[in-house]
Amino acid sequence: MRIINLIFRWIIGGVFIASAVAKIGNVQLSHGKSAPGTATASVHAWSWSMPLGESRAIRLSYVPDLTQFAQDVGNYHVPPRALANTVAITLPWIELLAGGLLIAGVWKRASAWVITAMMVVFLVAIAWALAHGYDIRCGCFGTVEARKVGVLALGEDFVLLAMAAWLAWRLENSTNRTTETTNETKNRRD
Amino acid sequence: MKEAYDTEDDRPALVADRRTGRTFRQASIIVLAGAALGLAANAVSPRRVPILTPLKAPPHARDVVSLDEAKTLWNSGTVFFLDARATADYEAGHIAGALSLPIDEFDDHYPQIQAMLTTDSTIVAYCDGLDCDLSHRLMDRLRELGYQHVRLLVNGWTTWHTAGLLTHSGADP
Repeated sequence: MRIINLIFRWIIGGVFIASAVAKIGNVQLSHGKSAPGTATASVHAWSWSMPLGESRAIRLSYVPDLTQFAQDVGNYHVPPRALANTVAITLPWIELLAGGLLIAGVWKRASAWVITAMMVVFLVAIAWALAHGYDIRCGCFGTVEARKVGVLALGEDFVLLAMAAWLAWRLENSTNRTTETTNETKNRRD
Repeated sequence: MKEAYDTEDDRPALVADRRTGRTFRQASIIVLAGAALGLAANAVSPRRVPILTPLKAPPHARDVVSLDEAKTLWNSGTVFFLDARATADYEAGHIAGALSLPIDEFDDHYPQIQAMLTTDSTIVAYCDGLDCDLSHRLMDRLRELGYQHVRLLVNGWTTWHTAGLLTHSGADP
């Protein structure tokens, strides 16, 4: 069980960190003509391109800009609408923190619960969009993927939710057992 | 575990309660700290967004045409329907006879459209979705250029094609 816990923690933590970074940095991956200069960096933005033969290149950019993601959140039209930006500003950092702690093994149980709660919120949002027939970008991994909201995103969320919930429940239970054992030992001592 | 030793009261239920409380506290800290980090990062970002989403004022009644009006105008054959959406959306399907004038590439497309219009032309701009502001922006832009009879068909594409009215797909009107 321990190994499964570890694998789940890595998978969920990794997914959450990756999606948080993609959102915060408005990460874009594009194929196109190679631009002069292969890498640029400044305090706030960073971009890198790998030349692929004749005048083609893969370009990866990290530019902290929430405008697009805030738009994506707003497109879900989940009330209260005025809070779409607030969600776009805070959500990625909560994801980053919870994912990081889960991998680091600090406050595992609390992180697993936070992630479980977030997955439920995501599921409700996706179901809301599907129920209303919105043809919108998922925004699940920021704007790096152009994927639309759909059954695939819903399925993916279910899998992650199941893993997070299982982890939250397992960590809760395993600690319970340890404490019970501790109590029994203590009772015997008494 | 540590707490079980620390505490005087070792009844498991109480310990479990306390642990749940601690998990809840830690979870709250994660959420609050994450939110604080996000707000701080946004505050120092040169590309910050407003904390609350600015809500758009609904379009003024005089700027809007109803579906029935739009139908009448369309039947009259003298009205220009302008599709403010991106070219790809236009090609995927548009109101029959509508011209493509994506507001995001206005300067590229306007010269071809300009040749067909006069400032007296009646124009119906549309995009898609109740919140789509492309047609609003197109209307504003055209009014700046002196067109006096520009109005909107709100949620135009969806309204039009769900009403079973004539549509067309591809690059031609």
